[in-house]
Amino acid sequence: MGKNFWKRLRQATQILCFFIFLVLFRLTDYSGADTIPYAVNILFRIDPLVGACVTLATQSFIQLLWPCILMVGLTLVLGRFFCGWICPMGTLIDLAGKGMGQGQKTGKAPKAALGFIKYALLAFLLVSSLFSVQFLGFFDPFALLVRGMAFGADPLFYALTTGVFDKIYLSGPAWLSDLTEPVYEILKSFVLPHKQGFFYLSFLSFFLLAGILALEIFGKRFWCKNICPLGALYGLVSKFSLLKRHPAKACKKCSLCETNCPMNAFETEEGEARGRLIREECTLCMDCMGYCPRRITTFKFGLPEMPQPVDISRRKLLAAGLAGVCLPVLGRTHALSKLPDNGLIRPPGALDEPDFLAVCVRCGECMKVCITNGLQPVGIERGIEAMFTPGLVPRLGYCEFNCTLCSQVCPTHAIGALPVKEKHAFVMGKAWFDKDRCLPYSENKNCIVCEEHCPVHKKAILFDQVKVPGDAGEIRLVKRPRVVEERCIGCGICENVCPVPGAAAIRVAGRDSRISPGSGYA
Amino acid sequence: MEKRPDMQKDRQKEMQMGRRQFLKQVSLWSAGVLMVPPVFDVTPRLMAASMASPQILVAKGTDYPAMTRTLVEAAGGMGAFVSPGDRVVIKPNIGWDRNVDQGANTHPVIVTTLAALALGAGASQVMVFDRTCNEERRCYQNSGIKPALEAMKDKRVRCTYVDDRKFVPVTIKQGQSLKEWEFYKDALEADCYINVPVAKHHSSSGLSMGLKNAMGVIGGWRGKIHYDLSAKIADLNLVIRPALTLVDATRVIIRNGPSGGSLDDVKRLDTLIAGVDPIAVDAYTTTLFGLKPSDIGSTVEGFNRGLGQMDLDRCQIRMV
Repeated sequence: MGKNFWKRLRQATQILCFFIFLVLFRLTDYSGADTIPYAVNILFRIDPLVGACVTLATQSFIQLLWPCILMVGLTLVLGRFFCGWICPMGTLIDLAGKGMGQGQKTGKAPKAALGFIKYALLAFLLVSSLFSVQFLGFFDPFALLVRGMAFGADPLFYALTTGVFDKIYLSGPAWLSDLTEPVYEILKSFVLPHKQGFFYLSFLSFFLLAGILALEIFGKRFWCKNICPLGALYGLVSKFSLLKRHPAKACKKCSLCETNCPMNAFETEEGEARGRLIREECTLCMDCMGYCPRRITTFKFGLPEMPQPVDISRRKLLAAGLAGVCLPVLGRTHALSKLPDNGLIRPPGALDEPDFLAVCVRCGECMKVCITNGLQPVGIERGIEAMFTPGLVPRLGYCEFNCTLCSQVCPTHAIGALPVKEKHAFVMGKAWFDKDRCLPYSENKNCIVCEEHCPVHKKAILFDQVKVPGDAGEIRLVKRPRVVEERCIGCGICENVCPVPGAAAIRVAGRDSRISPGSGYA
Repeated sequence: MEKRPDMQKDRQKEMQMGRRQFLKQVSLWSAGVLMVPPVFDVTPRLMAASMASPQILVAKGTDYPAMTRTLVEAAGGMGAFVSPGDRVVIKPNIGWDRNVDQGANTHPVIVTTLAALALGAGASQVMVFDRTCNEERRCYQNSGIKPALEAMKDKRVRCTYVDDRKFVPVTIKQGQSLKEWEFYKDALEADCYINVPVAKHHSSSGLSMGLKNAMGVIGGWRGKIHYDLSAKIADLNLVIRPALTLVDATRVIIRNGPSGGSLDDVKRLDTLIAGVDPIAVDAYTTTLFGLKPSDIGSTVEGFNRGLGQMDLDRCQIRMV
């Protein structure tokens, strides 16, 4: 076995896991069947930070998240291996670091002075979850990764690729497009998404992800060492783990393992503990096995020992906890909290608003999978606690009547599992006519495109034939549509297809807007 | 109609010339050479004169593939429409995310039977597409049309989604309500265009049949042409002229169309109607719904534009 065997194996595992992540990302889409056969949301279901925060927020355990317990169990055995071997964000960070030339850097590594941040964040997230407000989406690595890719990188990739091929097709010579079009067909079949995605917050989502990667300028795995709250959680668990590095301290004479450790996982403070491996920082990358000139570094199973305290002062921890108490309350002082409803159209099957905000982890999966691109991340205008949650924007895309994909990919049941039959009756909102804009009312012109498209049976939009005076004083018949409130489920296809420019003449408001009680899905 | 045969021939030649001129403009526009939209200027009155007494072929039964073959045979055989090497477009209605029984889309076996006949007549390519109302993948899949065509396992048969790059703006010279709109290039350039609509109730236009099916090969924001819809449908059909129209009235939505959804609204008629005159075919189909041809605005408007004959007394209706 070569001295770099374990390192190579780790790298191969990383690439494999990242590839699986990309494949699952691409499979988060309609496939020709009503159900997605793969667990495309698995990344969030194995995330114990998601498990912890959602459990605290709901004071109940969501069964869909059982795989995260498995991960905690594995970490108790193997240590923080997830960060080094599995995490697609970590792999992307490693790749970004290689791209920036971090791979070659050696020499005395500084102690991770900012390492306490991740523990503070973890404390903050757990405490604020207790108050049923979910800030997790701002810091969970996978939420940041999937959103950055779904809202930013993937649409960018599509636009760049099709931009080239379309340009050749539309204005290049025929012989060239005869060559490029077959390639384009293959890309469309296997690599590109079916259609260009368009998202609010695409810039922000992209730059949050890009920013995390850019942190590599300050050193290897800067995000993982200092900020990642999931890393902090895994770190805390790994303090009790069975797989241990030997020797537990860097040898005084050489210390090559210490200076080259990408995680700065060795104690640098002078004193008795100098050179000791800080177990919660070690991601088991096994690089140090390769550095060791005497080849004595190994990893062996052994009984857990009394853990050392983690790298955060009591004062900082208290501050983080206090922030966890205050920020949820501050969030609720947002002006919109004063309104009886916030007008948002949540996906079909979504929990009632306060519960939804507590359980939704802003992973972006529902918006990624939305077949009409109508589910969009909510911006800052609805308050920080609603940011990045899904809201239907019917003018951009309606809720497809027979589609239940968003409920299938939701890892926390914030969008509850919904059989198609139930979905047909699920009330997301209600449609309202703006008769000053609606053509049959405002201009006596026939239209009723909304009625044509209304998918429910019996139709929630009816029309009356009304006699109106024509331009020359003659009597004409015009079909004037109206909504039957009890039948409307708020899918928004009417608003989507309304031909009136600008704001549609029929618009949907979120489900709290219903007037008659009992008309909704209970 | 007493017309001298050579005069008719001249007119047909004139029409072909006009179409050729138009297609040349389409390809020049696509190549970026022509800056103004192609102009479609082929007088339809000539066409009406050439078939003042059109044939309407009707088949009844439950063996839809056999009925389809019989109808095409009675219309002169696929060879009368498709020459070897032709690129054929078969245009069904795939507009809605509904299944076969719900009747909102053309029955898949009719589409595959026509595709097989076209291949048999030597077609080099059979293209099937529709610009859908619901999400396109769901419509293609759940209508049964894409799976059925793929099951033919013939590379010449292509069931593709609409490619946004292929819409060409067209000036409709004789358009009365619609003067310019985007049309799908493959539909314009087809050597043979076969229209296979499903007949169904339509709240705006009364019924959706052959003429209405042209809505599936146009681009733009289609909701905007719902004002004065009948006239605009007729104007679209000045440009889209099927060689053959075959209407699927095997099971029809009788109310809550065009999207339907409930089987309560679907009635089995087990009927197929075919003909080369699009107006005559629509006119006859209308009667199956207990309506008169003149009740349907697009039929009247199409007749007035000379697209065909709506007076059923002047048509030869043949049960086959």
